[in-house]
Amino acid sequence: MMLQQYLKDYGQQAEIFVEQLNLLENGRMEASAAIEALEAMVASDDNTVLLQIGGGASVRAKVLEPEKILVAIGAEVVVERSNKDAVEFLKGRIMEMEASQKRVSETLEKLRAQMTEITKRLEYGYQQSQQMGAPQEEE
Amino acid sequence: MFGGLKERLQAARNRLNSSIGAVAAPPEAEPVATTPAPAPAPAASPAEPAKTASPTFVDKVKILVLERELIVSEKNIADALSELEMTLLESDVALPVTDAIILHVQKSLVGKHRKIGESVDGMVVSALKTALLEVLGKGFDLTEYIKTHPRPVKILFTGVNGTGKTTSVAKIGSYLHKQGFSVVIGAGDTYRAGAIEQIAVHAERIGIKIIRHKEGADPSAVLFDTVQYAISHKIDVVLADTAGRFHTKSNLMNQLDKIKRVMKPDLVIYVDEAVAGNDAVIRAAEFDKTVGADAIVLTKADMDSKGGAAISIAHTIGKPLMFLGVGQSYDDIIPFDPAGVVDELLDGA
Repeated sequence: MMLQQYLKDYGQQAEIFVEQLNLLENGRMEASAAIEALEAMVASDDNTVLLQIGGGASVRAKVLEPEKILVAIGAEVVVERSNKDAVEFLKGRIMEMEASQKRVSETLEKLRAQMTEITKRLEYGYQQSQQMGAPQEEE
Repeated sequence: MFGGLKERLQAARNRLNSSIGAVAAPPEAEPVATTPAPAPAPAASPAEPAKTASPTFVDKVKILVLERELIVSEKNIADALSELEMTLLESDVALPVTDAIILHVQKSLVGKHRKIGESVDGMVVSALKTALLEVLGKGFDLTEYIKTHPRPVKILFTGVNGTGKTTSVAKIGSYLHKQGFSVVIGAGDTYRAGAIEQIAVHAERIGIKIIRHKEGADPSAVLFDTVQYAISHKIDVVLADTAGRFHTKSNLMNQLDKIKRVMKPDLVIYVDEAVAGNDAVIRAAEFDKTVGADAIVLTKADMDSKGGAAISIAHTIGKPLMFLGVGQSYDDIIPFDPAGVVDELLDGA
């Protein structure tokens, strides 16, 4: 009974970590897309971009100041950066997110190993109880 | 823990060092020399050897002021300070807290006379240290609190959903148990499916008595019973778990009010996760406004490389940080020690 509860607890924790991993991955993808857009904006001659307005619809829009980028740097503060600095900042963020992903993955790995161990013990206990001929409580 | 912030602070510190070092570099120049040169030796402008003619008093003063000592002006460190400001904001340190730190560092450095033999780095580190210590507050020594207050000490845990409240209750229970206190846990989260079983398993594992009712029962009744049990069995500490809730749900906040009326907690602890960054700070402030909070526990600090919430929370809501959750096992909770955290952050060359 207690082992099953552990298994459930670990399962819930694992779910939270998987969710966190997804969030980090989304963040990383978004930052990569932003870098691509910023670099393309400078490279293009007429500053025209496709602006998504929701529902899969887009309009062509001209960027007035492709060199002045507003970046949310954290703590709900937005600062103006040059295009190059904004790209650098986003690259830094990506590196941080990758490091976090690695840490979360490692923790998740450990949790899963523990879950496998518990499952094995549960199965062993079940087999034992079958052999004894009477249902028994685990631990 | 807070590895990213540590790295960034190191960079900001080097920048301040080189800005101030640049002032020290030209020995004959006025101390207000601008344009920071790339990292000169920190202990520049050594004392001049004895002069041939006997020096006048004015000469002595001149040597002391212009050559031996270093006076930092606001201009010298303006760039470095703005970089430090960005560093802190990027680490999710709340704006008012960032301002407080910058102001403090500026105050301690500008107009500062470097004493002979004092290194520039020493000056910068001590300025950063006092600034951080000021915003971090004093922390909260729970064992001391319990020792100096009538038993049972009743501690109520509140916070939003899914931040690790129940696990923190178990960890703190285990911590206090190891410190030699007798503890009883009240399973006040009667709302979330499996919460009672979860805390019951924790309690069993760490050898603590738990008082529980059925799922869906009135949490006030559970916690009232827990307090009665503690009184009749002369237990030192009551740890009251509650269901996670958002401060915007008025019915749940009313329930919390009722719990407070019934069990009369000595301490209300707000639990949130460090990884939530600035959100945790904002939520803590809201909770403090609505139900009050005496201290804060931040969980998942081991997953947080920015450290923004941990740095900002005490200064923003004016309540001390009590514990940091740093891992999966029961021992992975550390009493928050501001001096230790600051030393850790500013550690390294």
